[in-house]
Amino acid sequence: MADLILKTSWLIAALPLLSALLIMFFFHYSRKLSAFLSIGAIGYGLAHSLLVLTVSYLNPERTLELNVPWITAGTFKLFVGYLVDPLCSMMLVVVCAVSFFVQIYTHGYMKEDPNYSKFYSYLSLFTFSMLGLVFSTNLFQSYIFWELVGVCSYLLIGFWWYKQPAANACTKAFLVNRIGDAGLLIGLLMLFFSTQSFWQDKVTLSFGELKNALDWAISSNALPIIGVISVTTIALFVLMGPMAKSAQFPLHVWLPDAMEGPTPISALIHAATMVAAGVYLIARAYPLYLASPMAMHTVAWIGGITAIFSASIALSQYDIKRTLAYSTCSQLGYMVMALGLGAYSAGLFHLMTHAFFKAMLFLCSGSVIVGCHHEQDMRHMGGLKKFMPITSRTCLIGVLAISGFPLLSGFWSKDMILASAWEHSKILFVVGSLTAMLTAFYMFRLYFMTFSGEYKGHAHPHESSPSITTPLVCLAIPSIFIGLIGSPLMPGGDKFSSFIHYGEHHMHHEWGVSAFVHEFLTPQGFIPFLAFVFGTFFAWLIYRKGVSVNEYIKKNLSFIYKLSFNKWYIDEVYFWILNNMIMPVYKTLWAACDKLLIDGFFVNGSALVSSIIGNRLRYIETGRAQLYALVIFGSVLVSVLYFVFKMR
Amino acid sequence: MLTEFFLNHALSIILIVPLIAALIIALLPDKESICRIVALVFSLDILLDVLVIIVSKFDPHLTALQYVESYRWFGDTIRIKLGTDGLSISMVLLMAILLPVVIIASEPIAKDKPKFYYSMLMLLAASVLGVFVAQDLFLFFLLWELELVPMYFLIAVWGGANRNYASIKFLIYTFIAGAFMFAGVLFLFFNSGANTFDMEVLASSTKNMSSGIQLLCFLLFFICFIIKLPSFPFHTWLPDAHVEAPTPVSMLLAGILLKMGGYGIYRICAGFFPEVLAKVGIFIALLAAVNIIGAAIACLVQDDMKRVIAYSSVSHMGFVLLGVASLTSAGFSGGIFQMFSHGLISAALFMLVGTLYERTHTRLISDYGGMTKYMPKCFYLFILASMANLALPALSGFVGESLIFYGAFSSEFFNNFPTRFHFNFGQICVLFSSLGVVLTAGYMLWLLQRVFMGKENTKWSGLSDLRMSEVVVLGTLLALVVLYGVYPVSLSNLYEPSSTALLNFVSSNLSN
Repeated sequence: MADLILKTSWLIAALPLLSALLIMFFFHYSRKLSAFLSIGAIGYGLAHSLLVLTVSYLNPERTLELNVPWITAGTFKLFVGYLVDPLCSMMLVVVCAVSFFVQIYTHGYMKEDPNYSKFYSYLSLFTFSMLGLVFSTNLFQSYIFWELVGVCSYLLIGFWWYKQPAANACTKAFLVNRIGDAGLLIGLLMLFFSTQSFWQDKVTLSFGELKNALDWAISSNALPIIGVISVTTIALFVLMGPMAKSAQFPLHVWLPDAMEGPTPISALIHAATMVAAGVYLIARAYPLYLASPMAMHTVAWIGGITAIFSASIALSQYDIKRTLAYSTCSQLGYMVMALGLGAYSAGLFHLMTHAFFKAMLFLCSGSVIVGCHHEQDMRHMGGLKKFMPITSRTCLIGVLAISGFPLLSGFWSKDMILASAWEHSKILFVVGSLTAMLTAFYMFRLYFMTFSGEYKGHAHPHESSPSITTPLVCLAIPSIFIGLIGSPLMPGGDKFSSFIHYGEHHMHHEWGVSAFVHEFLTPQGFIPFLAFVFGTFFAWLIYRKGVSVNEYIKKNLSFIYKLSFNKWYIDEVYFWILNNMIMPVYKTLWAACDKLLIDGFFVNGSALVSSIIGNRLRYIETGRAQLYALVIFGSVLVSVLYFVFKMR
Repeated sequence: MLTEFFLNHALSIILIVPLIAALIIALLPDKESICRIVALVFSLDILLDVLVIIVSKFDPHLTALQYVESYRWFGDTIRIKLGTDGLSISMVLLMAILLPVVIIASEPIAKDKPKFYYSMLMLLAASVLGVFVAQDLFLFFLLWELELVPMYFLIAVWGGANRNYASIKFLIYTFIAGAFMFAGVLFLFFNSGANTFDMEVLASSTKNMSSGIQLLCFLLFFICFIIKLPSFPFHTWLPDAHVEAPTPVSMLLAGILLKMGGYGIYRICAGFFPEVLAKVGIFIALLAAVNIIGAAIACLVQDDMKRVIAYSSVSHMGFVLLGVASLTSAGFSGGIFQMFSHGLISAALFMLVGTLYERTHTRLISDYGGMTKYMPKCFYLFILASMANLALPALSGFVGESLIFYGAFSSEFFNNFPTRFHFNFGQICVLFSSLGVVLTAGYMLWLLQRVFMGKENTKWSGLSDLRMSEVVVLGTLLALVVLYGVYPVSLSNLYEPSSTALLNFVSSNLSN
């Protein structure tokens, strides 16, 4: 039975693909059938992936890997296949669960859209690509699906192509990701190139053999740790991929713009699954990073910088979805930082908890947007608590979870990350705690501005339909409880880390309430809690009690305020460089090279010369170009014959 | 009996069928629909013949020539010798696939002088197919030059406003190319001492020649082929020709005529002069990198859709050069895959641009905007074709490019050119070319965005979406793009042994 469950697990990915194709080619005329097919496929996937998780959890040693050759050229072979191990089974459940609830929600959110069926087929296509990425057995296959999720994201951001911002955003998202992909591709090339003799009779770049390959390369001096072609540079090139996909500084610019897409997409792709793929890839390629301390430091610092940097922007945004988008950047920064600090389990634990509560928060924001008749500016909201009771309550749960309210899911995962930061780098601990404070502040700011006080808009807000609120309630449950898996309150201690870990796992010997209290009262346990308290308190003071700190800052510290409000002018800098440096250079290059030099000087110049000669010879009427060709042909012929006979 | 006759004369049959077709069409009444249907029947017959050739007796693992036919022509020196191997049969297959597709796409163009048009198309098919199966160098050259005649007329008669300039430019460039090749052919003939134009014999007799003469011959051929390919600095005829050529002719031009250059490089530059290729490989790699990046940059600054696609062809054919220059099995194999896949993708892209042009009579990107509203089918197919063009995995463009990148990066020949930066010179070219991945995405998506997204231009509100025939054309091409992208082995099995054999031949020559 267990064997069968694992062996047929490819169905989890195959069914969404099938449903996407069926909808695209046959059933796009029927809204009901499209929704049914798409939700049915992922519903099956969710059930199956829960079974896979159970099997895998009962026996974590039991893994399954199957490969088929994809292309061969001489000694160069590439494979695709599927791999089921604890990490994969966890991700399967996360992706399937979020996708399932988002697809139900989509029915409510998109029901008036004329392209409803197409939306479902894209959603299914994305789910397939994401699951294919999760199932990947090797880095190369990851790259294939990595790009496929990117293109699905492109299609979905640009779903409302007639809106100019959406059109800009999808192009930007794809291009920024492409920069990362180019780096990833170079990294993979270098890695394979340096270890190619290792892979002779193995699956090329497979995750299982990555560690052996690197050990072999380092011990046989094929690959130094530091150098131009070295473990470090490969790791950093590979890191470019995750930096783009997981929106890490300085390649984060596409994620906030991607919010122009429909809200279910923001929840599924740009909060829960695809953006976490970067973190997943780093985790899969972990041996590469562990082999190079410098790469690990870089990863940790990029994560830390992103975390605090995006949080600082989220403080002053008015668009409800953009605030959440910057918050996503910031939380992804936590995950990346955790992996960089060597806290493998903690990073992935946060990935899981974050997927649930952030997906729910986005869905809440969608519910609010629909309820307020497509208003996204929080200044025109307020007091929605009494109009939208379910949305406001689930949103509060999400806000508490992300801010780290004790015992909710975000509290456990964030705590685990900060605890390891305390161990490895005190500066990053400070950065992380500050971010935690900012997070609590801007999340409560969002909550207060939207749901409490008086309504400031002009629409007639109303609670959304059950197909929207049900997924909210369903996602609220894991947002509250899922963190307990990784808590010391579980009998036997942290279950998550003992299930998903890299290398040796140090079991927590102590567990139970007293162990929790003991851990909580250490500085690394208590400071994040204080951060939460202060952040919430300030938000309450400013946005509930109306203490006019904002006005003061706007007036006297306008520099800081503007920096945050304008996203540190990163976009402006990029576009300035693009418009004022890169494009003019390209234009000049092309004009100089093609138009002036080749066409202008050589081609038309030689035509001119021939026409002058032609004029002199009074052969104008015969058409000078043909004549010219004939002259060339003849003269080459003559010169060749001359050479030939001279040589004889 | 009949099947045996067919199998014994298969290659001459696929050359004669289009010639007969051209003749029959010339005798038909001057009505577009009749001519088109006759042409279509003949082209489907060619496709069928090619498929029969492939499935019946063709053995990809046999690396020697197959289906060989040899007839006396001018004495024993110049013979009509035909034969095929994995490399040439895949190009023949590409031509056979494109021909019916192009004929279906010709409907709106050929209203004017249909008899002439379809006859020319068939003549073109005969000469291009001939180039791919000719095993006699003189015949090869003759057919190479013959292809000019129908192509010149196709551009000059059915082309756009500036067609005279474009067709003459095309003619001059290709004529010069032919002159170089002719010089190369004669030079080779007189210096090899083999007293035959048989390509197999010539390939093995070049090593008796002194290295200086080899280099000269190589260059004469190589210049001819990179004019056709086209490559910097001989590429400027291509955008002009494409812009003025009618849609179906553009499809053929990008789809198959450019591949003659690539095929020639494989067959003659690599097959005849392996030692020279190894010596100048590094320069070819540099040229390839210049093509890939330079043409991609040129794409970014164009306002004419056809020019964008035309320059994109230059950029993508640069990959073929890089693959050949690498002298690795991955690079060789990737180059052939890239030619095949680019044939399909560029044909699809030109078709898409053509459908837009046919409706709006403008190719300027700035005239468009929000076209999705009026032409949703066109938009979705355009996305698919663009994604294939920017080498999205699971579409055919990716396979060739990744093989070539890997091949060039791991090439041992490039190790002879170390630099101070730890990478060898070839690897630096590869790293540089990988920027092209970003640039390609840039110009394709930017094009998509400006044409199809954003606020619609109400000027085009009366436009109709794709017709059935257009969907068939694009569907066929893009279905193959998906098929070969998802399951590349289905194509690479056909040519892989031949390309490896060619590589082994090259390497064995080098080690001696």
